[in-house]
Amino acid sequence: MRSVWIIFKKEFLGFFSSPLFFLMAFVATVLFSITFSMGIQNFATLLSNGMYQMGANPQQLNIHYAVFLQHLSLVNLLFIFFTPALAMRLLAEEKKNRSFDLLMTSPITSWQIVLSKYLSLITVLFAIEILAFIYIFFAQQMFQFDLLPTILTGTGIFLVGAVYASMSLFASSLTDNPMVAFIIGIVLNLGLWIFGGLADFTDHVAYKKIIEQISVNQHLQLMIDGIFKTSSIVFFISIIFFFCFLCERVIESSRWRST
Amino acid sequence: MIQVDNLVKTYGDRFAINNISFKINKGDVVGLLGPNGAGKSTTMKIITGLMSPTSGTAKVCGFDVFENPLEVKKRIGYLPENPPLYLDMTVENYLKYVTELKKVSIKECASNVESALEKTQLKDVRHRIIKNLSKGFKQRVGIAQALVSRPEILILDEPTVGLDPKQVAEIRDLINELKGQHTIILSTHILSEVQAVCNKIIIIHQGKLILDDSIENIQKLRQPQTQLNIKVRLDKDLSFEFKKISGVLSVNQVNPCSYRIQIEDDEVTTEAILEFIIQTKAGLLEMSVNENNLEDVFLSLTYNKSEEAVKI
Repeated sequence: MRSVWIIFKKEFLGFFSSPLFFLMAFVATVLFSITFSMGIQNFATLLSNGMYQMGANPQQLNIHYAVFLQHLSLVNLLFIFFTPALAMRLLAEEKKNRSFDLLMTSPITSWQIVLSKYLSLITVLFAIEILAFIYIFFAQQMFQFDLLPTILTGTGIFLVGAVYASMSLFASSLTDNPMVAFIIGIVLNLGLWIFGGLADFTDHVAYKKIIEQISVNQHLQLMIDGIFKTSSIVFFISIIFFFCFLCERVIESSRWRST
Repeated sequence: MIQVDNLVKTYGDRFAINNISFKINKGDVVGLLGPNGAGKSTTMKIITGLMSPTSGTAKVCGFDVFENPLEVKKRIGYLPENPPLYLDMTVENYLKYVTELKKVSIKECASNVESALEKTQLKDVRHRIIKNLSKGFKQRVGIAQALVSRPEILILDEPTVGLDPKQVAEIRDLINELKGQHTIILSTHILSEVQAVCNKIIIIHQGKLILDDSIENIQKLRQPQTQLNIKVRLDKDLSFEFKKISGVLSVNQVNPCSYRIQIEDDEVTTEAILEFIIQTKAGLLEMSVNENNLEDVFLSLTYNKSEEAVKI
């Protein structure tokens, strides 16, 4: 475990000493500030005017859906692009700089490399999500509402981010070109949602059911609605493990390939 | 200490190394020589566990590189062709990181880093970001990372490439200093370096091992011919007279006073030539012997071989 901690620590501090993370945090904060204040304002306008409420969807009158879900959806959108950008330096850039040779000739296993880099990546994603939650915590100082459904939604978004992290890390392991790794990462992350959307294009009941079960949309929606199912957690962990396993295999195979 | 048996590495149909076997004993300083693309780096990568062979085995300190890679990696310090540096770290933090990665006990980390900084003369730049260092310093940081875990075996792939002559001399001194503390494998193109620091030489050519011997034995490999360069005062063609001396194979008059004489490699012929010059009062101004050095051996073993291969 010491090796995992050593690499984790180095990567984690590396993120916080790179301008990339601060640029991302800046962009995220600007967007959060604009959308959150607009969301709160629209919600307040809706509640203060009975005329608006008449034709409104019940979910629009619930602060969890009307404000916080929109706010956290933005986190999800940012994760799609931020995660590959953060992950590209973890393996692709190491390969490009040849510092990867140091890891491969150190007494550590490929699993330790993957695990430490993966943990550092999801810790940074967690830090970005904390930024989003600051707004929600401050909102609670002003209004009375139940925080638990929002926290559950936040957990769901974080788990989706953890899935992005595993896919982006895998993308990063495939190439020694950080830009290519970034693009592959985005394609995989977007592919996850496109795959989930395929359920709407089929009328076949069995296919529909299968796609729904193996897409993140369904499992995330359950958490947004406040339903915490063990199967959802198992599903997320399975995808994460699958891509981390692929990543480990790619790293291990570099010994056999003609690099 | 290192035992390599029938090592083969193929890239598709091409053999990077073909059936290489050698043994390196504890404390040896081995020069791994060969033209570009001969398979030196591939051999080194296999020994360090960075690459797997197509067939054959490699053992380091009794541990098989493929069955016990972690044990092997603990015992090896490796400097690849391109030093594996994290450009955004400071020299000291980078070396600390490497020490921890190599599983050096926490107590020894600080002293190991200090000693590596001192040996590679990096103390003055210890707080500088690696990105901002010159190539020579980066190369030294690369050597320091190989040393920092105090490994039993040091594998240095072209450690002097890209350095200025002073830095090359410093690295040579450093390797001389490290003799006895580590078993060292060194690949380089600078043959004088190898002659200066190594006690054993392995020459690889077109993926095959063509020589594995000690420096002394290689110097005995000299071809049975020696070339004498002679300069005399007498402005008269002595070629015919030189040719008459027993043991002289050929004479080439470079200019009216200078000759290149090819003789059989024995002292009697040299003595006879000198006596002749003294007797004829030709006035010997200069005489030197062109000995077969490592470079000749290397060139005759590698380039002659490739010519033969072309003929075949």
